[in-house]
Amino acid sequence: MKILVPIKRVADPDNANKVKVSADGTQVTTEGLEWKMNPFDEWALEAALRLTEDGAAKSRVGEVVLVSVGPKEAVATVREGLAKGAERGVIVEGNDNDLDSNVIAAALAAVAKKESPDLIVMGKQTVDGDSNVAGTVLADKLGWPIINYAMRIETSDDGKTFAIKRDLDVGVASVKVTGPVVITVSDSILHPESVKNGVTPADFKYPEAEGGRYASLKGIMQAKKKPIAEQTLSGLGVDAKRTVTYKKFELPPARSGQTTFVESVEELVEKLRTEAKVL
Amino acid sequence: MGHSMGDLDLFNPTPEHRALRQTVRAFAEREVEPQALASDRSEHFNLPLFRKLGELGLLGITVDERFGGAGMDAVAAVIAHEELAAVDPGFTLAYLAHAMLFVNNVFLNASDEQRERYLPDACAGRTVCGMCMSEPGAGTDVLGLATTAERRGDGYVLNGAKMWITNGAVDDQTLGDAFLVYARMKGAPRAQLTSFLVDKGTPGFSLGQRLKDKLGMRASSTAELVFEDCEVSERQRVGPEGGATLHMMRNLEIERVTLAAMSLGIARRSLDVMNRYARERTSFGEPLAHFGQVQRHLAESYAEWMAGRSYTYQTAAQIDLGSAGHRLDSDGVKLFCATMAKNVADRAIQVLGGYGYVGEYVVERLWRDAKLLEIGGGTLEAHHKNMTRELGHVQTLR
Repeated sequence: MKILVPIKRVADPDNANKVKVSADGTQVTTEGLEWKMNPFDEWALEAALRLTEDGAAKSRVGEVVLVSVGPKEAVATVREGLAKGAERGVIVEGNDNDLDSNVIAAALAAVAKKESPDLIVMGKQTVDGDSNVAGTVLADKLGWPIINYAMRIETSDDGKTFAIKRDLDVGVASVKVTGPVVITVSDSILHPESVKNGVTPADFKYPEAEGGRYASLKGIMQAKKKPIAEQTLSGLGVDAKRTVTYKKFELPPARSGQTTFVESVEELVEKLRTEAKVL
Repeated sequence: MGHSMGDLDLFNPTPEHRALRQTVRAFAEREVEPQALASDRSEHFNLPLFRKLGELGLLGITVDERFGGAGMDAVAAVIAHEELAAVDPGFTLAYLAHAMLFVNNVFLNASDEQRERYLPDACAGRTVCGMCMSEPGAGTDVLGLATTAERRGDGYVLNGAKMWITNGAVDDQTLGDAFLVYARMKGAPRAQLTSFLVDKGTPGFSLGQRLKDKLGMRASSTAELVFEDCEVSERQRVGPEGGATLHMMRNLEIERVTLAAMSLGIARRSLDVMNRYARERTSFGEPLAHFGQVQRHLAESYAEWMAGRSYTYQTAAQIDLGSAGHRLDSDGVKLFCATMAKNVADRAIQVLGGYGYVGEYVVERLWRDAKLLEIGGGTLEAHHKNMTRELGHVQTLR
């Protein structure tokens, strides 16, 4: 099975309170913040690695190709994914300010056409833009099915068909789909038994891990030698333009830091209604 | 110059070093931090967590891949110790005793046959190992050690006791799995030591006592080990008779640099805690950070930490693990960083006041742990002695 996993580097979400807006309000500045892999993409990578390995024997049985659209420096994020176990990477160079979900989806579609994967697994959104549309637009451009918010993925025929459970606000939806397909994942995909690929023993349980597996030291040293291909938007024949432009950014209002203690539920409801005005 | 000096990152010189820091920090925050306070309170060495270090590849960080290691360098070892010690210095000390004092030592000094027998299990975390140097009556005067080895038949007989052995026990009753033991052949000159690999279960080798009630580093276990007519075969001797003094010197450098790295982790965490508290806590209607007395604690701590950090990483970058020759600076970084971290943790407690004095706010534990680094792996006084001797060989500092 060959899986394409799109990944994006984002400003450290654990320090999101340090994000600032430029004086003219036209952009978000991230100076002094570390870059990390988008957490949703980490989960997608974990799902893809589980689908392409024998988890008990710790051996690879398929291929995971990482693709990142962004500045050259994103190579560090791609290497991080390679250190966790992916086979190779592709970087499509582009300036973050010229990209939106439409351009990203067009670039990913162009890479997918060259790579012909059985499956594309990606985070449902990135934690910076929070748009939650790239996966769906990508599927549309490819003419493939889109399955959003996957929390369980099962296949027993090396990726030809998938039984997927979708994590919805109102419950869990079970679907069956024939590949190739685009799947976006929710954090429930990190459950110890969320992925069954017919190779890893059915009773095998992955350890509980907040962000998916760690890059081992061996993985880090091996990642040095794994190939990363460099592409450009024009080289891929992508002429997509931004369809979304941001007019103005504002920081949320500072919190007052005041705490009010209440004696009863009735008083709480009353204060939420009259003081906080949220009811 | 080909490269701009502005691109130089002393603390993460290559992308692999940066990736290593990221892995260890994520592991430390997610899995080591949540158990740190409880392990300290109960004087508990967390064996399952230790084995996870093996899965990550940290236990054989400096060892060649052919023996199950990761093949990384002294800077990598410093990064791993700094990151782990920022959350749990006690647990990190158990890591250091195994990965630096035993694993790195065996890798540098033992024969291929011995490396194949000991290193794959030790790198994977299947065994917990340590090194035996200090004795009840010999510490800083290490060449004054009294444990003897005597030829008997095809092998040797060891007699003596070893003190303050980290990983000597894994719990109150159970010995660690294997140890590198320094001894002197009966009648041999003071400067000629011989070392042996001694396994748990060897007749005559026993746990004297697990040492309880330590001030700090309580998440690692410390023991007195006893050798009473302990018979070991010739294949357990490491290198030639009398050749172990050089092994010891070779390994002391990485030991001291990684102990300094632990101090860096302690200081960084203490700084983070006091920096945050000084902004959030108000007094007389203003954040503590507005008061000159607190500003002095913060600014001096940061400058001292960065000075120690720069000195340690610079020294680590110069160390070739296979050879001795950085005695002055490997002693120097530990001399500076141990006291620096103790002072920074002390200031953090001062800034936090009462909160700093209780376990939940971490710095009281770091303060207790920091003190050990002025004693273990070389007392401050040993560093003074060694450095003054080394400086005697220097005509003019360049």
